[in-house]
Amino acid sequence: MLLATIKKDLQLLLRDRGALISLFLLPVVFIAVFGAFFSGDNDGDRRAIAVWAADTPRTRAVVTALEGSQLFEVERVASAEAARAAVAADRVSAAVILPADFDPAAGRPGELAIDEALAPQVRLPVQGALQAIVHYAVFPPALGADLPVLVAATPPGIQRALRDVDAFQLSVPGNAVLFGFFLALTVGLAFAEERRWGTWRRILAAPVPRATVLLAKLVPYGLVGLAQFAFLFGLGAGVFGMRVGGSLLALVVLTVAVVTCAVALGLAIAALGGSEKRMGSVGSVSLLIMGLLGGAMVPRAIMPPLLKTVGLAVPHGWALDGYFTLLVRDGASLADVLPQIGAILGFAAVFAAFGVWRFRFER
Amino acid sequence: MVAAVAGSNLLSLRGLGKDYGERVAVEAVDLDVAAGTIFGLLGPTGAGKTTTISMIAGVVTPSRGNATVGGHAVAAGRAGFAARRAVGLVPQELALYEELTADQNLAFFGRLYGLDRATLADRTDWALGVVGLVERRRDAVSTYSGGMKRRLNIAAGMLHRPALLVLDEPTVGVDPQSRRHIFDTIRALRDGGMTVLYTSHYMEEVAELCDRVAIMDGGEVVALGSIAELVARHAGAPILELELAGDAAALLAARALAARHGAVEGTGPLLRLPRPAQLGPLLVDVETAGATVVRVTVASAGLESVFLTLTGRSLRD
Repeated sequence: MLLATIKKDLQLLLRDRGALISLFLLPVVFIAVFGAFFSGDNDGDRRAIAVWAADTPRTRAVVTALEGSQLFEVERVASAEAARAAVAADRVSAAVILPADFDPAAGRPGELAIDEALAPQVRLPVQGALQAIVHYAVFPPALGADLPVLVAATPPGIQRALRDVDAFQLSVPGNAVLFGFFLALTVGLAFAEERRWGTWRRILAAPVPRATVLLAKLVPYGLVGLAQFAFLFGLGAGVFGMRVGGSLLALVVLTVAVVTCAVALGLAIAALGGSEKRMGSVGSVSLLIMGLLGGAMVPRAIMPPLLKTVGLAVPHGWALDGYFTLLVRDGASLADVLPQIGAILGFAAVFAAFGVWRFRFER
Repeated sequence: MVAAVAGSNLLSLRGLGKDYGERVAVEAVDLDVAAGTIFGLLGPTGAGKTTTISMIAGVVTPSRGNATVGGHAVAAGRAGFAARRAVGLVPQELALYEELTADQNLAFFGRLYGLDRATLADRTDWALGVVGLVERRRDAVSTYSGGMKRRLNIAAGMLHRPALLVLDEPTVGVDPQSRRHIFDTIRALRDGGMTVLYTSHYMEEVAELCDRVAIMDGGEVVALGSIAELVARHAGAPILELELAGDAAALLAARALAARHGAVEGTGPLLRLPRPAQLGPLLVDVETAGATVVRVTVASAGLESVFLTLTGRSLRD
């Protein structure tokens, strides 16, 4: 029964282009787009700024400091108007305009042309960096100002991060978890389809224990889930250069826990029943919200404290914490992600218990 | 396969009933089906036919009563496995995986009954041969006509050679040629020793196929026996149908006929009444009432009459 159902469900899945696209192709597109989107720290992706400066010793010092900072792609323009126009045309992120009488100490600052309607997380880093560079160039350093006062160090109890962590180490697990949990919807719909097709009645009429019927229906999707994660992580490593800092064994165990949780959630969705249309709409919205809260789209690390806590109310949050540890932290082991694995299996147990309690074979 | 002795009862139901909350779907059905026969379960939609056969097949748990197939109790869990092996269910829906081929469908359903690889191959050849689908066995079911899907639906139910084949409205939506093929298949299976339980709301089908019939209505069996027995017991006199021209004249004619010839059904252009011994005086009365007869039909007593007598309405109402 088990092997026959696995074979049959895999045959059906291979013919279901929609399911294959949403489980395998769509996450790849999301990984590529999100990865590229957040990879803003490479040399080739430095933000462009325009600079117009009257020729004075003070302004020359500022322009030299800006060009030497390596933070911006500096474009010198012919006039203050051209600098402002470049900002207005969105050709550059900001423009620094320094007139001949530029003297901040005398109360005659330069001009920073920038779209003040830009999102704060985009505008403030640009504005802050430019202020600091110009300030440092104009005012002579105070005693010891050029000496380091703070040095970054990872405290004991946390594995050191890999050098050059890139955006794909966030976007690959983020989208793998987001779309991995969409497996739950596929499972719920698979039960609904069996009922709609009438094959469910045929299965129930067979001399097979009902527990086996349920298990046999879930196992193929568990295998599909594992294949999905293997594909996405394999692609992440092979194509997008995602590196794994921690234990591969731990990565496998964590993934098995995540897939188990997704399948158990699928059983809970199937147990809730309802039409396929309702299951599809309510289910996909719920899974998107869970993914959003759990940090699959925007990392929880940059969320406000309350949302950060709420993110742990869904398995996605724990899963991503675990993947972050294993991908980014050098030498992270299975022991380091046991709390996350435990929490995910706890969610799985709750979903499965609800599903078994609420599932109706005869409907 | 459960050994069925011809003439003995293969299926027995005693007080079998099902409630869904407050609603009684099937009251308490008692019936026996002899081995090697085709037994018809006739009734309108909602009569409780599908619920009854679902209980027999083990798909629905009864609220009361019991059922045995070949002496094995239909029960939940492993206790009911012997009975389930003895039953082959052909659901009313096309219970097939449309994206898979006939071979792939039958492989899955055969495995559900524990058929090993060699047996499965033999049975698949046999079942597809019986329903005439050998040539299309490797095509996806989605490419089949409605009649071919119905035939494959039957093949899936009989693959494990059950003692009792339960067919739930197997000819819904099929063309006459496929219907004929399905009837021939069912007769061939019966002739091969299989017992068939056939539900339908088409009395012509039941009359043509079945050796014995149970008529269900409102969740109850209201009559049980051979067609000849039922007709003799319940059909009453043949019915005369008069189709008249014009509603107003027909109304007058209906009144006149009711006064002279007893109960008349209908006040429109179509009137129904027990067939009188002499037709002439009746037609004279119609014309005297100012109506013109367009058509006269004498309906011979049959299952339709039985159903009408027992329930007070037509089977197609």
